[in-house]
Amino acid sequence: MSSFSRGARQALTIARRDFVATVFAPTFLLFLLTPVLMIGFGIVGGQSAATATDSGEAKQRLVVIAPPDRIALLTSTDALLRRIFIVPTARPLLRVDAEGPNPAAQAQALFERDSDDVAAVLYGPLDHPHILYTPTSYGESLFLEQLAEQTLRAQKAGGPARLSVLADRQPVQRGKVSSSGKGRVAFFAAFGVFFLTLMLSGQAVGAMAEERSNKVIEILAAAVPLESVFFGKLIGAFGSAVLFVAFWGAILAALPRFVPPQMAAALAELGAAVGPVFPLLFVAYFTMAYMLLSAMFLGVGALASTQREIQMLSLPITVFQVAAFGFAAYGAARPDSWVAIASQVFPFSSPHAMAARAANSPELWPHALALGWQALWVAITVTIAARLFRRGVLKSGSPKPRRKKALA
Amino acid sequence: MSSNLAVSATGLVKRFGDRRVVDGVDIAVPKGLIYGVLGPNGAGKTTTLRMLLGIIEPDGGERMLLGRAHPREASDVVGYLPEERGLYPGMKCREAIAFLGALRGLPWAVGRERAGKLLEDAGLGHAADDKIRKLSKGMAQLVQLLGSVVHEPELLVLDEPFSGLDPVNQERLEALITAQRDRGATILFSTHVMAHAERLCDRLSIIAGGKVKFEGSVDDALGVLPLKAHYTPHHNADGLRALLPADAERENGSWRFAVPKDGIEGLLVKLIDAGHGISGLSIERPKLHDVFVRIVGKKALEEAPE
Repeated sequence: MSSFSRGARQALTIARRDFVATVFAPTFLLFLLTPVLMIGFGIVGGQSAATATDSGEAKQRLVVIAPPDRIALLTSTDALLRRIFIVPTARPLLRVDAEGPNPAAQAQALFERDSDDVAAVLYGPLDHPHILYTPTSYGESLFLEQLAEQTLRAQKAGGPARLSVLADRQPVQRGKVSSSGKGRVAFFAAFGVFFLTLMLSGQAVGAMAEERSNKVIEILAAAVPLESVFFGKLIGAFGSAVLFVAFWGAILAALPRFVPPQMAAALAELGAAVGPVFPLLFVAYFTMAYMLLSAMFLGVGALASTQREIQMLSLPITVFQVAAFGFAAYGAARPDSWVAIASQVFPFSSPHAMAARAANSPELWPHALALGWQALWVAITVTIAARLFRRGVLKSGSPKPRRKKALA
Repeated sequence: MSSNLAVSATGLVKRFGDRRVVDGVDIAVPKGLIYGVLGPNGAGKTTTLRMLLGIIEPDGGERMLLGRAHPREASDVVGYLPEERGLYPGMKCREAIAFLGALRGLPWAVGRERAGKLLEDAGLGHAADDKIRKLSKGMAQLVQLLGSVVHEPELLVLDEPFSGLDPVNQERLEALITAQRDRGATILFSTHVMAHAERLCDRLSIIAGGKVKFEGSVDDALGVLPLKAHYTPHHNADGLRALLPADAERENGSWRFAVPKDGIEGLLVKLIDAGHGISGLSIERPKLHDVFVRIVGKKALEEAPE
């Protein structure tokens, strides 16, 4: 048996042990259902935040101080203007106050009263209005300015009636995926690879620590080359990650059947330039990203002797990974730039960047090249991790050539 | 290097920092024998075994394991029990043994089947489907040992196999080791307990301070020290001391001394002729422990690092 096939067999033996130990542990169920907890907490937190925001926004008002004869015109113009918002309450509701003897003082006083939550106030003549607004209400001040302009136009036109009939609207479907749709898919592909990798690869960090605490490492090191041990650990961890992704992927794949027709039409706008091969490429790049990041985590975890050290060493890797994703996302937004090429070549951002490229560009050959390049870096990372472990933990390693000569 | 050797090494060197833990060790283990590596704590036994197995690389010297220059190439026909025992606590005994066999190329199914039989033979059949964490330390150690022989290796390397075992399990282990030798395997084990080495070893090395101080058969080792005579005279009269060898020491009414190189018969004739007579006489072979202490030196034993 060649040393490669023996190493592969040994790696798979270790992978099998790790996979079974992970998947058949009760904690795996908790791991599998983590997204439910995430989504659940997200919904609860989102609802709470929305409730708090809505209650605050509902109290806010825009105020126009105007003579009584202008109130009706202002109100009807405001109603017309709000038609451009899908949600009419995108801006605070309007209140029109009757103008007093000193409109400037009246406007200023509105901001001092506890009973009012005024975002912006308009007073003065419509052809030269004055607007006061709070520091966070610049958008509201623009709206009031537009309200004054439109009210003045309506006044000059003799009333607020529409000059045209309501438009005859008809939704259309594009014949092909839009470029913005590709861009969105590119971002989501890079983000998806990043998110899944970040969420799942962390489990590799403790893999070698387990061997060290159980003292099994000596048995493994005697029977199996360390590279095979590391690859076995990676494959075992990847197996459980694949199970996780397959489970949630199946659920997500069924979701479009349940989304509203408008959203389904919006989803139809999305697509990847490479076509139906895209899911396969996404899986391939997820695999490579997982292997690369896990190999780094595994190497760091192998060198650390305490949980505290593992935690401290994991953070820089995570930050590095976030930076690599940022690099890839920046490149994905500029598909023809040198940054895009650089992010596709740099091994640790390459899976994210190439997943994005699959959405933006139809050629397939760069993907074959990239997958080979990334696989090479997985091997390099694992080899470096194994060597560091051999030298640092097993206290082994060949002497430097100079020392070797002296010892001969 | 001879093909009759299961293990051979010349000039093995290993340094940790500035310390030469193994300093030019030569070792030759003939096939089919039980070979002991003896030495005090910190002598370099474990490091030597780890280098022989390829767990760590030597800084100097050469080694051959079952005819292969690189130990990894022989890993499927080698079994190893490390000094620091280790098993996955969540694994069942049968699976743990099968896993250790699978690492050495034994199919899982065959490993499980053999594990059942090995556990039965070792008196652990009832625990075959128990998890390792449920076992006592001694039982777990036996399970690990069974895992190191499940693939029927040509060479079995055991590092301090008796440590932590009670007398009953020590006896079981001795039986298992001789059974492996009888099967045709070569056994290389390290220990600092002389009684086991004396009972089991066909040949042995004594290592101290990273160097081999002695290499040979157990008989060769015992021959390092002379036989001891324990003589009780019939009459403990004046002049007796003058007839006895210079190293004779009195113990109550008896005398203990090394048997002269030319034999004890001449001395006995003189003692009888002088009228001291013989009330009791026994000739004792030296113990391996005494040989070990003589070779290693009491000072080295006391200074041995933990």
